[in-house]
Amino acid sequence: MAVTDRASPPSQRPAERSSPALPRRKRQFTVRRGLGLLGFLAPALVFVAIFTYYPLVRGSEMAFKQWNLYDLRHTPFVGLANFKTLLANPTFYTVLVHSVVWVVGSIVPQLLIGFGLALLLRRRFRFRGLYQALVFFPWAVSGFLIGILFRWMFNGEFGVFNDLLRKAGLIDTNIAWLADPTLAMFSVIVANVWYGVTFFTIMILAALQSVPDEMLEAAALDGANKVRTLFHIMIPFIRTTLLLTVLLRVIWVFNFPEIIYGMTGGGPAEQTHIVTSWMINFTQAGDYGLASALGLIVVAVLVLFTTFYLLALRDRDAR
Amino acid sequence: MKRRQFVLGAASLAGAAVVGLPGCSSGSSGSSGGGGSVTLQMVESLTNPARSVVLKNLLGEFEAANPGIKVQLISPPTEQADQKIQQMLQSGSGADVLEVRDLTVGPFSNNGWLYDMSGDVAKWDGFANLTEQAQKYAKQNDGKTYFIPYGFYGLSLFYRTDLIKEAGFSAPPKTWDELLTQASAIQDPAKNRYGYAFRGGKNGSGNVVAAIEAYVGDTIDRENAFKIEGGQSIFAAPEAQAAVDTYFQLFRKASPPSSVAWGYPEMVEGFNNGSTAFLLQDPEVIATVSASKVLKADQWNTAPLLTGPAGKAAQPVATSGWGVAQSSKNKEAAVKLVEFLSGDASTTFAKENSLVPIQKKAGDDDFYKTGPWASYVTMTKAPQTYLTVVQPRGVAWWTEWSTKADNEVQQVLINKLSTGDLLKSWDAYWVKKWQG
Repeated sequence: MAVTDRASPPSQRPAERSSPALPRRKRQFTVRRGLGLLGFLAPALVFVAIFTYYPLVRGSEMAFKQWNLYDLRHTPFVGLANFKTLLANPTFYTVLVHSVVWVVGSIVPQLLIGFGLALLLRRRFRFRGLYQALVFFPWAVSGFLIGILFRWMFNGEFGVFNDLLRKAGLIDTNIAWLADPTLAMFSVIVANVWYGVTFFTIMILAALQSVPDEMLEAAALDGANKVRTLFHIMIPFIRTTLLLTVLLRVIWVFNFPEIIYGMTGGGPAEQTHIVTSWMINFTQAGDYGLASALGLIVVAVLVLFTTFYLLALRDRDAR
Repeated sequence: MKRRQFVLGAASLAGAAVVGLPGCSSGSSGSSGGGGSVTLQMVESLTNPARSVVLKNLLGEFEAANPGIKVQLISPPTEQADQKIQQMLQSGSGADVLEVRDLTVGPFSNNGWLYDMSGDVAKWDGFANLTEQAQKYAKQNDGKTYFIPYGFYGLSLFYRTDLIKEAGFSAPPKTWDELLTQASAIQDPAKNRYGYAFRGGKNGSGNVVAAIEAYVGDTIDRENAFKIEGGQSIFAAPEAQAAVDTYFQLFRKASPPSSVAWGYPEMVEGFNNGSTAFLLQDPEVIATVSASKVLKADQWNTAPLLTGPAGKAAQPVATSGWGVAQSSKNKEAAVKLVEFLSGDASTTFAKENSLVPIQKKAGDDDFYKTGPWASYVTMTKAPQTYLTVVQPRGVAWWTEWSTKADNEVQQVLINKLSTGDLLKSWDAYWVKKWQG
């Protein structure tokens, strides 16, 4: 079909797959040139080594030690004891399930709403710049602060949500949003959706702006309606961006305890704890050994997820 | 980017993001001095903007009285302050004088990060001017002085004078049972009016323990308020069941349903905006309620801590103070600053921050004899009724205990745990810890 043929991403077009017209001259490697390159790279390498890999190595080391703030003069190697302690704790499995609910419940609405907003912002209209700034604003606010703000908005007695629902005649008695386990999880997800929509909007908008106008005009001339254009041109065109954005967000949201910590502290009765908010409990108790072990388990879970996700995409592409 | 590279890259990022968090536990900053003058670095923990202003003024007075000593105040946000202080102490630089809390003195001193001021205090005349309580808390179990308290926090009952009158009561409650009766009578959710500002969220277990301690007041071990005479835990005492049953009735009959999740800000706001009639809180709330735009001065007051059936209440005192870092290169000047802040300056600091003062003569001040402070004087004058007790807040597992206890309090509130099982769990926890 003409429409789908034209929807091929630019990288797959024959003209762009061919070699450049002028052959590139290979520059000779010299020690001097190598040292120069190293010099330019050195600041970045040092920065990454100090601020990323050193904490990573230290954190991994702590996971195999008894590392309690109360007595840092006695930090013996304990092998897998910290991991065994965690795996023997039933709360570990509960917070793992909560993490999945938190990630899926947050990302699906974020993707859908973010997509919708990106489509709206793609069009030119008056005050588009202002509207964009308003949409992107939540991204500039700290997650913990958002948690505190939503904690007050969801307050059963003084919160704005119950007040609005009462005034709209939808409820007669206050809803104790953060006191009921199911409602509390719903509430923290609502806050996270509000926060995370922006990221999807930014990424998808950038991708949509790369869809050539000629392609859309051609589709229109061929008689494709808006829905068809969306599903047969735009989405296939930005598919890679969408899939990578979802992957990034899964990793990010899984590791994002701030809103939960600010809103519920993981309560009531640990019913909104995810793995990383639960980890904060261990650091606050001074048990860095357990916290680090939990961190390594999270790494393992995310590495496994990332691997399967990318392998699944590759298989799909191969088909 | 090739897929394998991308997988590795994404995995590395995921790893770095998570494992790096606890790994970032050491840092460094510097303390300066030289040129004939000394610059002290002072770090506070329970930071708030108004308090920092008071502190800066006092430091200005200190600098004026001690030419050659400058003090640089570092005020990290409260949530991260103790961690920041820990990093400074661990790295051995950045702090000369620091705020030490009863919750942090254990780990900090155990790691050798705090300077023992015993020798300096013995030579300091001002120590004799401190109240008995302040002198007691200035010495740890091992007899060493790692900090001098700047004031004390202690519970009292904030109550609405107009609401209890409307409900037909002539005086505020004296016992937990009376509180339940009065709060239940005032409760009227249709008017958005509630009896008691229940604490179900963070640190909610503290008030449950306060009720139990009042009920076991006759037999409580005052040096370890989690034990009764004979060495049993207070949670296994026969009176404990009645205490928790009464306390949780307060939630069922007289509190906002959403208070399952209420922490400090919600409780104070509930009282401050006129929604709740009773609030059990520390004295710093006096300043907050005094500034309320809803409540007038004649609409509220404070009453002494509630007693149990035996007519006794246990006051679990909490405190913080100023200490000196072991790594400080300017210990003499640092100790001088701690002594200054523990002298007359401490009364200014206590007044401005609504704390029970540490100076003996402060009790004669009209400020502490009238209005909402009067209940503290009442409690001080009746030590046989209002027992001052020491909770084991310095143990390594205190935060772990608080987290567990708060979680189980919420389980009771959402009907996932009975009060009997709550007590059994708490008793088992402490017995196991004490057995080592």
